[in-house]
Amino acid sequence: MPEQKETLEYDVLVVGGGIAGGESALNLANIGYKVLLLEKELTIGGKMILLSKVFPTLDCAACITTPKVSEISRHPNITIFTSTVAKKINKIAEHRFEAVILKKPRYVNVPDCTGCQLCEEACPVSVTDQYQYGLVGRKAAYIPFSIASPRAAAIDIDNCTLCGACERACPTKCIDFTQTEEEYLVKVKSVVVATGFNLFDPLKIPRYGFGKFKNVITSMQMERQLAPTRPFNTILRPGDGKMPDNIAYVLCTGSRDKTVGNPICSQICCMYSIKQAQLLMGALPMADITIYYLHIRAFGKGFNEFYAQAQDMGVEFVKGKVGKITENEDGNLILRYEDIESGVVKEAEHDMVVLSVGVLPNMEISETFENKNLELDPFNFVGQPDILASPAKTSIEGVFVAGTASGPMDIPDSILSGGAASAETTSYLRRASL
Amino acid sequence: MAKINPEFTKELKSYGAFDVNACYNCGNCTAVCSLSDEENSFPRKMIRLSVLGLEEDIQMSLDPWLCYYCGECSTTCPRQAEPGELMMSLRRWLISKYDWTGLSGLLYKSFTASLTAFIILATGVLWFAAYQGFNPEKLLHYGHYFEMIAIAFVFAFILLPDIIRMWWFTFSKEHSKIPLSAYTKAIGDLFVHMFTQKRTLGCDDSQVRWFEHLILVFGYLLLLFTTVFLDWFGTNNTFVIALGYIESAIIFVVTFIFVLSRVKKEKEVSKHSHPSDWFFVIWLFLMGFTAFFVRLFIDINILNTNIWLYVLHLIVLVQWALLIVPFGKWTHFLYRSFAMYFIRVKSLNTK
Repeated sequence: MPEQKETLEYDVLVVGGGIAGGESALNLANIGYKVLLLEKELTIGGKMILLSKVFPTLDCAACITTPKVSEISRHPNITIFTSTVAKKINKIAEHRFEAVILKKPRYVNVPDCTGCQLCEEACPVSVTDQYQYGLVGRKAAYIPFSIASPRAAAIDIDNCTLCGACERACPTKCIDFTQTEEEYLVKVKSVVVATGFNLFDPLKIPRYGFGKFKNVITSMQMERQLAPTRPFNTILRPGDGKMPDNIAYVLCTGSRDKTVGNPICSQICCMYSIKQAQLLMGALPMADITIYYLHIRAFGKGFNEFYAQAQDMGVEFVKGKVGKITENEDGNLILRYEDIESGVVKEAEHDMVVLSVGVLPNMEISETFENKNLELDPFNFVGQPDILASPAKTSIEGVFVAGTASGPMDIPDSILSGGAASAETTSYLRRASL
Repeated sequence: MAKINPEFTKELKSYGAFDVNACYNCGNCTAVCSLSDEENSFPRKMIRLSVLGLEEDIQMSLDPWLCYYCGECSTTCPRQAEPGELMMSLRRWLISKYDWTGLSGLLYKSFTASLTAFIILATGVLWFAAYQGFNPEKLLHYGHYFEMIAIAFVFAFILLPDIIRMWWFTFSKEHSKIPLSAYTKAIGDLFVHMFTQKRTLGCDDSQVRWFEHLILVFGYLLLLFTTVFLDWFGTNNTFVIALGYIESAIIFVVTFIFVLSRVKKEKEVSKHSHPSDWFFVIWLFLMGFTAFFVRLFIDINILNTNIWLYVLHLIVLVQWALLIVPFGKWTHFLYRSFAMYFIRVKSLNTK
């Protein structure tokens, strides 16, 4: 049984510390509301903090995220709980919600940790690094990544051998193996759901060979290779460490595909693939980049110009869905597709394939609402009963939705959505004090 | 100027097709198809032509005959537009176009018409048997004659003209341009494909399916030969008798497996069954089954007292020979091999 701690009281509970949840929390805190921000990972910043650059401006994603994240973590009105999930949320009355939250032990006393990384050096256990999407390894005692917030160590207890090397190495004695799970009862007046999305797992499409062919990677893995905090400091294909010079993108991997249960467009893959193609042309000037697409959806501000720019830079766009991928002995990959322009089935060889994986709903949150039903839309994103007039409203009055929890969207839209959720939350809270 | 039939996809539905309008032209079906190649890329092109209602182009095309329906395209179609089933429907549609009598189309489109035709033939046979006083000797005699006459008639008046029509449609743009030498040079392909169906081996799934099909075709053709030319039901030759038993057993065992998989619907290829598919497998099963027992009854000398069995066999045989063979799925056997032949002729000509 987790240890039951004291009852906490806030104005708003924000579930999810990505860019949308962070934006909501920051706006609410600036108005003066006390906000509790829950994040299930070790660090806030969500998926955006892991990205390379953003489309269509090619601004550095970390340079936008880190100041925001640091503002959120230093804000006097915001309390952040990392490694924490909401177990159940009940609506007692209008403006009265009670939530039970579960904080998993980090085995590190965060305020005392200086981020010196001596524990990492001392730890003898190596495992794959989930924040680098399996491209490299990390230790069992580790700092998630250099721009994590909090930038503090954590112990991966599932892989820890309890040798105590980190404890002995730690200069501030902040490692504490006696920590246990803690449960809190939280009383709030309103809830913002900003639980984000999951990436499509390409193992579900075995004919693309992901997991079997080492040089078939996901777009998130490529994103890590291009990010400022990238693991290799250059672009390498995982099979043999060769610098690729002929890279293919397979769009609509797990999007607009009824056979994998996701019939809708993910809205971001066309653009992030075009962005990555442009970045790759900078990183590997001699490389050929081919994007296999069904339809290019460049609908946002500046998107079509960005697409045209990629074409001008020499990115090749081939209309046709890749049907299957096979591997050569040298690790190169053969893509079989129908060239829709000519109506002829063709095969092309590439030395690295990037699967542009789509956006899937993160459904867990709807189960945490106990006495009221948080309705989902037909595609299992959080439903928006009044999507045109009041997009942040959900089926429960007083619970608002922000960002990709309500459906696929890009970063500017997520931030807009976070802003809308904070505004609607404010108006709901103001009604309480009238 | 191309003629467009805007109702074409609606019409195709009565031949078994699904919602082909769901297709968004990604080409996944063509890319996953292991039989599709640079010369003949399908099935997406066929879907496109169907959606546009370009009947003449479809009528000219041999692509539907190149598909052996492993079902991979349907399993992986992101729009679940069932391209595999569309190809099957187009084969039915093409059969009805090739058929000069128009009966194929009627039987494919209307289950009632099929049922009526089956009942009329059954009644006819019963009436004839009654007219002969259910005399076993006479019935066996006429049954044997019927087989020979039916084969000659169906081939000369239905199948031959239909194949000529198939040729006419296929080469509608180049009838006179192809030299005779191309036809003679390619003739080997016709027989190779007719008797081996080796193209099925190219399908990812179907080493077993190919084998089942092959022994079924051989069993069927040999049984035809054994009953018609070696007079299986009348002979005393032990070798011929044993041969007939084996052939008919092969037919009913393999077709039983086929019926079972159509009931179970586990494989993509057996998920969707048009009435014509059921007729084909069930009647072939009944043919093998009743033939086997007719001979068995002769051998243990109880046929004379159980003539109902032979009458039943005759009903099945007549329905098979006059409905399923000329107008039904049996014609796949011919059209598939002729399609391969015509493709070879075309490629010889372009070279």
